[in-house]
Amino acid sequence: MEALFILIVVVVVALAFDFTNGFHDTGNAMATSIATGALKPRVAVGISAILNLVGAFLSIQVALTVTNKIIAIQGDNGAPIPSLMGVPILTIVFAGLCGGILWNLATWLFGLPSSSSHALFGGLMGSAIAALGWGGVKWSGVITSIALPAIFAPVVAAIVSAIGTRLVYAITDRLAPESRERGFRWGQIGSASLVSLAHGTGDAQKTMGVITLALIAYGSWTSTDSIPWWVKIACAASIALGTYIGGWRVIRTLGKGLVEIESPQGMAAEAASAAAILTSSHLGLALSTTHVATGSILGTGLGKKGATVRWGVAGRMVVAWLITLPAAGVVGAITWGIAHGLGPNAGTAVVLAILIAASGFMFHRSRKNAIGANNVNSEWEGGLAPAAEPTQPVPAAGTPAKA
Amino acid sequence: MDIVTDTLSALWKVLAVGILLGAGLPALYALGLRSMNSGRTVNADGTVSGSTSAAGRAVGLVILAVVIAIALFGIVVIVWGKQIFGA
Repeated sequence: MEALFILIVVVVVALAFDFTNGFHDTGNAMATSIATGALKPRVAVGISAILNLVGAFLSIQVALTVTNKIIAIQGDNGAPIPSLMGVPILTIVFAGLCGGILWNLATWLFGLPSSSSHALFGGLMGSAIAALGWGGVKWSGVITSIALPAIFAPVVAAIVSAIGTRLVYAITDRLAPESRERGFRWGQIGSASLVSLAHGTGDAQKTMGVITLALIAYGSWTSTDSIPWWVKIACAASIALGTYIGGWRVIRTLGKGLVEIESPQGMAAEAASAAAILTSSHLGLALSTTHVATGSILGTGLGKKGATVRWGVAGRMVVAWLITLPAAGVVGAITWGIAHGLGPNAGTAVVLAILIAASGFMFHRSRKNAIGANNVNSEWEGGLAPAAEPTQPVPAAGTPAKA
Repeated sequence: MDIVTDTLSALWKVLAVGILLGAGLPALYALGLRSMNSGRTVNADGTVSGSTSAAGRAVGLVILAVVIAIALFGIVVIVWGKQIFGA
């Protein structure tokens, strides 16, 4: 019976992670379209949510390989190692998810785009090390699936995006600025939609894999190459709902903080992101959508003559990326310790209570300088918080607050 | 270290395809827009004179249609490629 309690908690917490994955990553696809005014903020997150939903159903890859690449709790065929069946594996997965969620919320609070996949991997690595020792992590997988892609994804995306930006401006330099701006808005919407679709196919799968792994560990599912239909539906719905809620803080940093963007740059950036994400997933190489999108937006600042890149903002993002794995890992390890130490029932309940309390605290903090559809595009003046005084009336949707 | 070289060679492919499609398609799209607006010129004071030509608009629309077709084909290959072509 105690395994059933953890299983239910794991499924719920995994869906919560999927939700944070959605709202954390909305900006990757839609920040540029929102910043240039190609789409109204609410419309942008709505389109992105629908495409994430569609993408989640399109994904066909076997998702159990996601966790198997980096932690040693599964055999070659993806099934859990027999000695870890039941409570041990469920506790590791539960603690890992807690690390992933808390890191996603913390970076969201600071408006920093950081990879949700890395947060999940970091949490799982931490709990696996706590449970099984250093051998609990497959370090070669960490290098090839996490470290190398993290170094190269932003660079590759920035190069592609800079080349695209340069070409696009060179080709259209004699167009009237208004027709150029208007023409590229459509290209921007199309390319941003592609990124949303790609995100759904890639990221919803990771949670599907985690839940399926938990079901196998509990013993209520046996197939290692298919996913229960309700898991698919629940994961697709969670990521879409999260996307629709919109991680406005991250959207603001990506769309306004890093580079001031015009619509030709927006199209170049999103096309570069879409090409890099779709190609890499086709080759079985998991590039983080966040790293790719951030690199693309940076690249479009480098590619346009006279554009400025706010390197301070970029630097903070890089720091966040570097500490993602250790930070989520430490949380994963600590929560595993609590959950394991207090036993399956009490431990799981205590950790769940801590998770809810910490999430509530971060949400509460975010209300102090709330960012939403109304002020996501306000002028960037040295920081995430818009300049508007709290006592001033909230500007109407679509009109940026006056500085 | 085979596993590292494999990853690096995959990254190299991502860069090549990325430049071809990720930078090439926006450039093609830009050509389409330019063609649709051919005939109009921007004067030194920022005003626009002249009008677009029917031929320019037609060529521009064809180019934009090609961009959309390539993008859609790309999705099909990537989502269903393994079933269609085997892998």
